[in-house]
Amino acid sequence: MPGDVKVVERPRAESSYVRAAAKGMSITMRHLLSPNKKTQQYPDEKWELAPRTRGTHRMAVHEDGRAKCVACGLCPTVCPVNCIKLVPAEDENGERYAAIYEIDEFRCIFCGYCQEVCPVEAIHLGVHYENAEYSRERWVYDLERLVEQEHPVTALWDPQDPASQ
Amino acid sequence: MAENGAKATVTLTIDGVEVTVPSGTRVIEAAEHVGVVVPRYCYHPGIPSRPAQCRMCLVEVEGRPKLEPSCTLQAADDMVVNTASDTARTARQSVIEFLLVNHPLDCPICDAAGQCMLQDYAYVTNQLESRVDEPKRIMGRDRISDDILYFADRCVICTRCVRFMRDVAEDDSLIVAQRGDKAYIDTFPGRELDNPFQGNIVDVCPVGALVHEDFVFKARSWDMDATASVCPGCPTGCNVTIDTKENQIVRVKPRHNAAVNSWWMCDYGRNHLVMTNRGVRAEVPLIRDGGGDGDRGDLRPVDWATALDWVAEKIAALGSPGGSAVVSPDASNENLFYVRRLLDRLAVADATFQVEQGETAELPTVPTLKLRADRAANVAGAGIFGGRRVDALRNGAAADGSAGGGSAGRALVVLDDLLEGAPDDFGASAGFFLYVGTRLPGAARNADAVLPIATFAEMDGTFTNFEGRVQRFHQALRPPGLARPGWMVLSRVLARLGDGEAVNDVRTAFERMAAEAPPFAGLTWDGIGLKGAPAAEANR
Repeated sequence: MPGDVKVVERPRAESSYVRAAAKGMSITMRHLLSPNKKTQQYPDEKWELAPRTRGTHRMAVHEDGRAKCVACGLCPTVCPVNCIKLVPAEDENGERYAAIYEIDEFRCIFCGYCQEVCPVEAIHLGVHYENAEYSRERWVYDLERLVEQEHPVTALWDPQDPASQ
Repeated sequence: MAENGAKATVTLTIDGVEVTVPSGTRVIEAAEHVGVVVPRYCYHPGIPSRPAQCRMCLVEVEGRPKLEPSCTLQAADDMVVNTASDTARTARQSVIEFLLVNHPLDCPICDAAGQCMLQDYAYVTNQLESRVDEPKRIMGRDRISDDILYFADRCVICTRCVRFMRDVAEDDSLIVAQRGDKAYIDTFPGRELDNPFQGNIVDVCPVGALVHEDFVFKARSWDMDATASVCPGCPTGCNVTIDTKENQIVRVKPRHNAAVNSWWMCDYGRNHLVMTNRGVRAEVPLIRDGGGDGDRGDLRPVDWATALDWVAEKIAALGSPGGSAVVSPDASNENLFYVRRLLDRLAVADATFQVEQGETAELPTVPTLKLRADRAANVAGAGIFGGRRVDALRNGAAADGSAGGGSAGRALVVLDDLLEGAPDDFGASAGFFLYVGTRLPGAARNADAVLPIATFAEMDGTFTNFEGRVQRFHQALRPPGLARPGWMVLSRVLARLGDGEAVNDVRTAFERMAAEAPPFAGLTWDGIGLKGAPAAEANR
């Protein structure tokens, strides 16, 4: 052991932790009793999101449960990160529908252009943030999964004032 | 057209620009000379009749009380035409508004969206909807022939389709049924639309009312890439535009060329071209260099450098053995040229080709446009490069000596022929059997080497049509696997044999061909352009 260790003798009042602990506890007690609490009990209590929050997508459906998408191809065209895959086809009534519609939510930047461009108000961003998956593949939402989503949809504009005037 | 016939030209002013045109020219055509495209629906340059019924091309002429339809108005001296005056623009806007009374705004699902003249003019005139509150007429859709759908709601009754059939195809099976807002296009009662040129009515339709069934909901116009090409269906060589999406041909449209196909093409060519790139393809070079169980070893896949080195080595070792060849009348001039050089090196004089035959069809009013019996694009080119036309392949097989049995040590070269009807032992006795092709037919199993090449849609090149017109086509698709253009492959084989340089671009290949093959003397890749140019008369 090196011989030059300097041992400082401090008074007991200074070196005791009791005083510091009491000070810390007093802050805790003060906040415990304060009406101005900030802590959120997350899984039980959830954050209230703004109506324009942009989260993972949701597909609107007709009354009979069919997706409203008419496979016009505008969302894959406008998408700045090419995260939408669409293959149009003709159904038995001769109507256009999306045979394949997939959104890669991992690649998506949640810009909202797809919702804005949709002529039939089918694809929407969602007011939703709880996304967790065990595999990357699960982040590619197909049409069925987009239809199943239940969260509220994003309001990109005020319905009373759609042109923002 | 000029009544007095005294003056050959007239000079008029259109939108402040003076222009001199041949007398008899209509104002709508004269306007194009000064770069003004007057909006039009019923007028089509390829259809002779001018009913002036759509009222879209109305222009103001100074000194005349009313607007005049420019598609029927003859240009006259000192005429002052204003295509963009307030009156003309208001009139055009009104026409759009009237059309939008019933035209559905279903652009998101309409196949013409993006290439629709109603959409374009609605934006140009800023008339995006009609003020009429009444519900739109709904008529639904109909099948007008076995492969063409008619969406009656979208129809603007320009009658281009009816007049194409009547005036150009001289087949009056299409009519306008009913009148006013109930009018729609239909076949004449008791008749069917069954004409070899009926596909053109889809091309002339200015909106999305007529759609080819194979194209319905296939691709949005902005997703497609258009490539100038030539139809390979028959030796006429109609100029076409190939629309591709994600490396697939989705649609073929005729491209205007007054010397060949005017504005039209036949349905056979249309369907043939869409199907041309399907099927199992040769994708990787194969050589038989002694490995494997068979007497001569098995064909095994190798990379290009190995394959080319090995083929060149074999050819160098053979010297000038003579032999025979089968070429394809569908191969481009450049491919045929390089094969010819290779054959000359091998001292193979005889190259045969067979041409599939089919029905013929004529468009009565366009004499140059004809679906010819030969079902191959480059019959003339195959002839220029020393090909001998035969009726059936067994003649070719006999020529290779397999029948005579004395072919050992001789060469057999096949350029992209499917060898239909060839015997199982085709080429088995040849000293060296080189198969250069886009596909891999069973008869190629005896080959010593298979070099995969690109189809015409996957490369640049030229075809020589039935009258010796050399026409360029361009690459629309990526070739599959390791397949490369034939001229690129063969020039490399020759370069390894000390004959010329490896060619990397079609311009060089074409210019080398033009320098050495007299029929192409004087032609340049840029010079023939997108409309083609006649080859020298000497070739025929």
